[in-house]
Amino acid sequence: MPMKGRFPIRRTLEYLQKGDIVFKNRVKIMTVNYNTHGELSEGARKFVFFNIPQIQYKNQWVQVMMFKNMTPSPFLKFYLDDGEQVLVDVEGKDHKHISDHVRKIVGKTEEVLQAEAQAKMQESNPANFGPRKYCLRECICEVDGQVPCPGTIALPKEMTGKYRTMMAAAQEE
Amino acid sequence: MFQVIGGRSVQAARVLAPRSAVLVEAVRGRKSRTDPVAKSKVGRIKVPPPVDPVEMVVLKERYGEYQMIMRALRLEFKEEMLRKRYEEDTGSLAEERARQEAQEHRVLMDFNHLENQRMLKLRIVRVQMEKEETDRKKFEVILQREQEQQEIVKEKEKEILKLQEDAKNFITLENLDQRIEEALDNPKNYNFAIDKQGKVVKQTMLQ
Repeated sequence: MPMKGRFPIRRTLEYLQKGDIVFKNRVKIMTVNYNTHGELSEGARKFVFFNIPQIQYKNQWVQVMMFKNMTPSPFLKFYLDDGEQVLVDVEGKDHKHISDHVRKIVGKTEEVLQAEAQAKMQESNPANFGPRKYCLRECICEVDGQVPCPGTIALPKEMTGKYRTMMAAAQEE
Repeated sequence: MFQVIGGRSVQAARVLAPRSAVLVEAVRGRKSRTDPVAKSKVGRIKVPPPVDPVEMVVLKERYGEYQMIMRALRLEFKEEMLRKRYEEDTGSLAEERARQEAQEHRVLMDFNHLENQRMLKLRIVRVQMEKEETDRKKFEVILQREQEQQEIVKEKEKEILKLQEDAKNFITLENLDQRIEEALDNPKNYNFAIDKQGKVVKQTMLQ
């Protein structure tokens, strides 16, 4: 299986999951204007090349658009859901600085992310039995060491309800 | 599939029917309207299973109670969920949180604004410098060109002067005879000798 592109590591799941910019719920659209040539756009180009895949992976419902060579200087623009637009000038900045700045302004903080992870863990209690969508297991018969499902393997006679009632009736007589 | 029947067909069927039954007849199931009844079912009158009234009363009561309890529980849980959702969306805590978030957002926007201003200043300075640079270069180029033109003019002038000087030595119709006389009187010897060391000897014998 050949590797595609110049830095195929950008296509790996591990790299994408390492991305730490999660936008706040208010951000709906992100737009990047940059130039393909020129020293001042270098940081923006690197940002688009390395960090945009991570951002899009973590924010699947945010629309991210790239515009090339439309303006003399590069910038980012965020469109929030109440119509507010946030402009970030990135001329001459390094891609690391750009991503830090973006995370500070528009991204969810560490504590918020952790609180959300906690809440998610609490909702999914492994002790719950139910539909596959919400719980790990549907029936106790799926667990190793428990009585297997009577639908597949017949229960021994002594454990069936009808045998037991029969014996109880016989004893009564 | 079976329907209760009443009317003229009832009298005939009642003779053969069992005692307590409600009369039912077959309704179209698998067979279409043109299919005849099966031979084994020709005189058959179907009857629902018998019901014990005492048992029915007891069962109805118990089922009623059970279903009431289940419905109550379900609604109870649903209400709890709705209340939790309502509290989260429009409760007092939610307002606090919203206010806090708005404030933090404003702070961050201000920070971003400052950053943009800083970049703007840097950019203005940079653009100014670049403009000055280009202006200077243009100026220099113009100067250079002017200098070159001046030099060309000077060279041309020099050539003209040289020509003027040479013109004094030209042979014209008036000088012709005089110059011929002079040339004949002074024979010039252009021959020279050179030895291996590079010494030039101009005095040779004229022939």
